[in-house]
Amino acid sequence: MLRRQFLGLLGATAACAALGKPAQAAGTKHFAGYPGSNGVLFDATRCIGCRRCEAGCNQVNGLPAPDRPFDDLSVLDQKRRTNAKSYTVVNRYDNIPGAAGPVYRKTQCNHCLEPACASACFVAAFTKTPQGAVTWDETVCVGCRYCMIACPFEIPTYEYNEPLTPRVMKCTMCYPQITSGKLRVPGCVGACPTEALVYGSRAELLQVARERFHAHPGRYINQIYGEREMGGTNWLYISGVPFREIGLREDLGVTPAPELTSGALAAVPIVASVWPVLLLGIYAVSKARDRVAKEETKAAVAAAVAKAQAEAQTKLAKTKADAEAQMKTAIEREVKKALEEAAQGPTEGGE
Amino acid sequence: MTKRNPQLRWTGILVFFAALSGVCLSAQGAQEPGAAPPPGRPDQIKIDTLAAYGKLELPAVTFFHDKHTKALVKENKDCQTCHLVENNKLSFTFMRRQGTKPEELQSLYHTNCIGCHLETAAAGKPSGPLDGFCRSCHNAQPPTPARLDAGMDKTLHYRHLASKAIPASTKEATNCSACHHVYDKQTKKIVYAAGKEESCRVCHGDKPQDGVLDLAQASHQQCVLCHLDLAGKGAKDNGPLNCNGCHGAAGQALVAKKNQEVVAKLKNKEVPRLQRGQPDAALITYVPKNGDTSGKSLLMEPVPFDHKAHEKYTDSCRGCHHASMDSCASCHTLTGAKEGKLVTFEQAMHSKSSKHSCIGCHAAKQAPPNCAGCHNRIEESRQPESATCKLCHLPLGKTTLAGSGARMTPQQRAEIAESMLKERPKSPGTYSLGSLPAKVEIRELTDKYQPVELDHGKHVQALLKGMEGNQLAQYFHHDPGTMCQGCHHNSPASATPPRCSSCHPRYFDPKHPKRPGLQAAFHGQCMGCHKDMAVKPVATACTECHLEKQK
Repeated sequence: MLRRQFLGLLGATAACAALGKPAQAAGTKHFAGYPGSNGVLFDATRCIGCRRCEAGCNQVNGLPAPDRPFDDLSVLDQKRRTNAKSYTVVNRYDNIPGAAGPVYRKTQCNHCLEPACASACFVAAFTKTPQGAVTWDETVCVGCRYCMIACPFEIPTYEYNEPLTPRVMKCTMCYPQITSGKLRVPGCVGACPTEALVYGSRAELLQVARERFHAHPGRYINQIYGEREMGGTNWLYISGVPFREIGLREDLGVTPAPELTSGALAAVPIVASVWPVLLLGIYAVSKARDRVAKEETKAAVAAAVAKAQAEAQTKLAKTKADAEAQMKTAIEREVKKALEEAAQGPTEGGE
Repeated sequence: MTKRNPQLRWTGILVFFAALSGVCLSAQGAQEPGAAPPPGRPDQIKIDTLAAYGKLELPAVTFFHDKHTKALVKENKDCQTCHLVENNKLSFTFMRRQGTKPEELQSLYHTNCIGCHLETAAAGKPSGPLDGFCRSCHNAQPPTPARLDAGMDKTLHYRHLASKAIPASTKEATNCSACHHVYDKQTKKIVYAAGKEESCRVCHGDKPQDGVLDLAQASHQQCVLCHLDLAGKGAKDNGPLNCNGCHGAAGQALVAKKNQEVVAKLKNKEVPRLQRGQPDAALITYVPKNGDTSGKSLLMEPVPFDHKAHEKYTDSCRGCHHASMDSCASCHTLTGAKEGKLVTFEQAMHSKSSKHSCIGCHAAKQAPPNCAGCHNRIEESRQPESATCKLCHLPLGKTTLAGSGARMTPQQRAEIAESMLKERPKSPGTYSLGSLPAKVEIRELTDKYQPVELDHGKHVQALLKGMEGNQLAQYFHHDPGTMCQGCHHNSPASATPPRCSSCHPRYFDPKHPKRPGLQAAFHGQCMGCHKDMAVKPVATACTECHLEKQK
């Protein structure tokens, strides 16, 4: 590769990088959630681990009957995760330092303000609804399960035992039932006997949480989990013990997942559209330059040859003329000599 | 340019990475904030005497005192092996008297410590670190000493007071003068002042000041020297002689056990009252320090205070008199003063967060299960009803207005307080039990279960029983209806309180965050109380309250 070409490519790369920047900035615009969107506040100090929420969820969503009944609390002896048959599970956390007894925590989709699952889905099967829920559209899903890898809370699950029409299964915050007016609050919230779960607008719930902190100083960890975690979620948690003790990750940071990838992803169209054009252009320009140079050389060579030929002709002609002249002179001299010799010869011979 | 030595360069790179990994490893090993440091020993002493004269060349020495005293006992050696006698008293510094120059200190320690270790080693016995093992003593990361405050509660105080080994002075009937003293400015001597005994901390602070020893020095001189003296005289109970005896968990357990044994033998199994001339009853009101009694009667009514009874409720006088035995108002003025750390008189009496204040101590008494059932339900941040002020601030009556309490003599105040205390009710009040419903049927959730039959009478009896023998509870619940408000809250006390559903709607409304929906109100009240009082049924035993519907 010529130095000039190399520099050209370098310049193109730089130009692309520069073009990519404004796109990235557009992708990381701060989104504070849809105003008035709804959520659920979970209060670990109120949860008694009765699993009524699991039963309520199962019922309103028409999920298959569980292996063991919902009033069997020995299920809590093992840590569980959500699966294709249950959108929500309650876990018990024992021997927490500073806690008087076991503490329970309900797991389900947290309905992120900017969901990682939605940003990972290349067919846009996930929607963050203005009402707060993150919903999944089975008509477009291709079953890649990127959403399951993307979710920091490990929530979406898959119907692996369904050979023909497997679905991604996760809590919908009862979006279909509430929008259709079948339910007032999500199934789990309606089933909770102690208001460990309350449903309302996210802004109001943050207020409710703070009221509880104020009413009972020292009873709660002064933090609302989900207010800022992963950019904020519509499901909020408050607790009397550190959140890590009840299985909530404290290492997620406050950056929404899409923000982590939008820069790189926003650069893709730029790279895909600009790079080929630019590189082909550079190739064409250098190619054309080569051609012109070649033609010029050819012409120059032809001219040089012609000139040399002309010069040779002239030289030849001159040499010829010189030779002729010389020859003429020589002939003349010889003739003169012969004439002189002829003049002297008869005298000497006559004696 | 000269050609660099490649070996030197590689060494440099290696050193860099070693340093980097060192930094990373130490960062990784850094303790999580809030995690408890590794526990040390109670007898651990940090020797950094030279730190006062400049930066230390090596880390401070970690020294275990009990380890050394134990070794000396084995060798039949005494304290004077390490501590010199100065003014007929054992010095608490190592091998030196006052006025030792700082430049002598290093060699003093090295010569004596290592010298003794060498001698021991030469005798073929296990010894401490020898010459050259600098880091064995100069320990860069010593464990945190697990030293507890020695403490002197009223039982331990009584044991000293009653001890025959500590004789009374010739002038007094008691042996108080053996420990308690004051500094007489005129004679410049330490003398005993009867009836003016204070806690050591009043003069002996955290640091030595104006020739007054700090608390550690003062108490070691007083306690340890006396214990050693008694041990020398062969007293039966001479008190602890090593660090662990007072500052270690094991030593303190022994002291506590002995305390219990002593109390068990006493009359009423109670330590007798201290005799310092304190009143049986006091009328708490703001008496200005300068005796200015011209103040207007704008103060709250005074509080008759049962001093005698409260002496039983606390471990030592310092439970309330945290600084000195003077009256609270001498430091805590109405508007706050420097000597009272700007804590006003009102705050000193009412601060919920202080264990020395009336309200703070009373609030702490609400923690046991008998009380927590109701009291844990009450919002901590809630302002008390103004009517409850009158439970302590009793009206003095027509003739003696509030504020005039300041004009009375202490004697008069004590008398008035005593008479007021006598009139105070002594038992919890309820409405006549016969007028209250014995059973209450709760018809919530009847779509799934049978109505709940609450044994109302049993609940009332249980709460009354919980207050038995608790004077504090009995007095503060003497108004009929006060106890009922444990459940029937937020409406005026009444024998016929409104139904729960009068306030609690069917569903929770986030616009009224403090008002749960009806079901959660019942469950929160019942389950919360049952959990805090540790009574059955447990929260998840649904059918023990809600009977299954018959099919």
